[in-house]
Amino acid sequence: MNLLETVHLKRYFGDTRAVDDVSLSVAEGEFVSLVGPNGAGKTSLVNVVSAYLKADSGTILFRGADLTHASVTDRVKAGIARSFQIVNLFDDLSAFDNVALAIFSRQGKTVNLMALAHLDRDVTAEADHVLAQFNLSAKRSELARDLAQGERKLLDVALAYALRPKLLFLDEPTSGVSTRDKGQIMDTIASVVRGEGITAVIVEHDMDVVFKYSDRIVVMHQGAILAQGTPDEIRKNEQVAMILIGSADAFARKD
Amino acid sequence: MTGTIFVIQLLNALFYAAVLFLIAAGLSLIYGVMRIVNLAHGSLYALGAYVTAWAVGGAVGAAVAGTLGQIGLFLLLPIGAIAVGVLGAVIEPTLLRPLYRRSEEYHLLITFGLLMIIEDMLKLIFGGTPLTASNIMDGLGSISVGALPYPTYNLLVIAIGVAAAVGLWWFVYRTKFGVILRAISQDRRMAAALGINVGRVYVQAFAIGCFITGLGGAIVVPAQAAVLGMGVEWLIVAFVVVVIGGLGSLEGALVGALIVGIAHVAGIQFFAEIELAVLYLIATVVLMVRPTGLFGRA
Repeated sequence: MNLLETVHLKRYFGDTRAVDDVSLSVAEGEFVSLVGPNGAGKTSLVNVVSAYLKADSGTILFRGADLTHASVTDRVKAGIARSFQIVNLFDDLSAFDNVALAIFSRQGKTVNLMALAHLDRDVTAEADHVLAQFNLSAKRSELARDLAQGERKLLDVALAYALRPKLLFLDEPTSGVSTRDKGQIMDTIASVVRGEGITAVIVEHDMDVVFKYSDRIVVMHQGAILAQGTPDEIRKNEQVAMILIGSADAFARKD
Repeated sequence: MTGTIFVIQLLNALFYAAVLFLIAAGLSLIYGVMRIVNLAHGSLYALGAYVTAWAVGGAVGAAVAGTLGQIGLFLLLPIGAIAVGVLGAVIEPTLLRPLYRRSEEYHLLITFGLLMIIEDMLKLIFGGTPLTASNIMDGLGSISVGALPYPTYNLLVIAIGVAAAVGLWWFVYRTKFGVILRAISQDRRMAAALGINVGRVYVQAFAIGCFITGLGGAIVVPAQAAVLGMGVEWLIVAFVVVVIGGLGSLEGALVGALIVGIAHVAGIQFFAEIELAVLYLIATVVLMVRPTGLFGRA
């Protein structure tokens, strides 16, 4: 069974078709990249699936359950987490507290004031483990606002990951980061995601990154799915190369 | 002799600062988490004072003292704080929650309305006669500072103030609930997106803020009588404290309370006629130099 299935999903803004009849399936454990020119509807699609935008029509099935009308919180509980194009952190909290917060909210123990009275060992150990997985152990006590851009990106993904999602959306995890740091960030993310068997859907512009890490690439254009396939299939697809780069043999030449 | 007077005045300043800190900390906690300037805060303080004075100084206190002695009275002391905390847990979901989406004028209007209602309720229930719980203070006697006697109870109030400051710091910076509070205070929507039940945290935070203020009222009545109008009087001084320290900051409430406590006592000693004016002057200078207060963030 597919983990995520969107059926004829639509979202228009006036005459602009941001998401136009998208039927997309994502299998468990897959690493899928969403690519396409600016305004192709990649982020809109992620927003609709993670409930930050309402769908005009269509259905969102997650593990067989209809989540089309579920709230953000309900989708997080069901196992859908996401990071944003613009880093979304609690700037005045330490790296550790940011991750710990995600763990508390996942545990959902906010009912009993007494249960909240201390930071128990389990949470501390788990938060430290997550920081270690994302190579952030040394930055544990630093405020999020004081971290470097690349570290902020990683912490942002770590926050979404600490929710222990089944499906993780990453909206441009390497945007605004130097080329040198890009590879390192993607290596870290990919090793955690693959190691824990999490299904990941990333929105990414850098085709080197996309070809290197994806199991499958979904190309969007004007709100609709134009093509999808393995990195090799997409590399050979001249129509895709034309839209993404403006030259039919753009990818072929690189080899 | 001047040394003795200095020590006594310093203790008086710390006493005043301890009570002020509790009020200002409650005000700041509520503002920090839900961005509401709670004008009813002074009246909640007065309510804590009245309830404790009524219980400890009245028939209940006499009965308890008869069976448990002085210890019974101490156990009864926090009842005002508990009453105010419970009232806070009722007020937040019923009166304040519908207003979060509205602009600040509505917050001011409803909390000002609450202030008037609570003041009148106090008059209706407890009457116009001042109430005290001085039996606690009398029971503790006094110690000598130099050659002069000083009430032992005042030292207890200072100790409670210190304990409250340490306890609140630990609560905000070292507990799960503290992390959640700080997160919501920074970005309510993002916290909700993480799956945190913001509504529930709001009730708890408001009730805790009310409890702290009620505690301020409860510990003051053994030393000073609960009188009508005390709520507004302390509210104004508490606002001076948070203006100096920075609204929403725990450290600000502490430092602000100490500054105001010292200025207040020094004012009475050296320039009684313009004591209040000096407080406002300090607040004005802080506002001009650092509009967000000493510890506030814009």
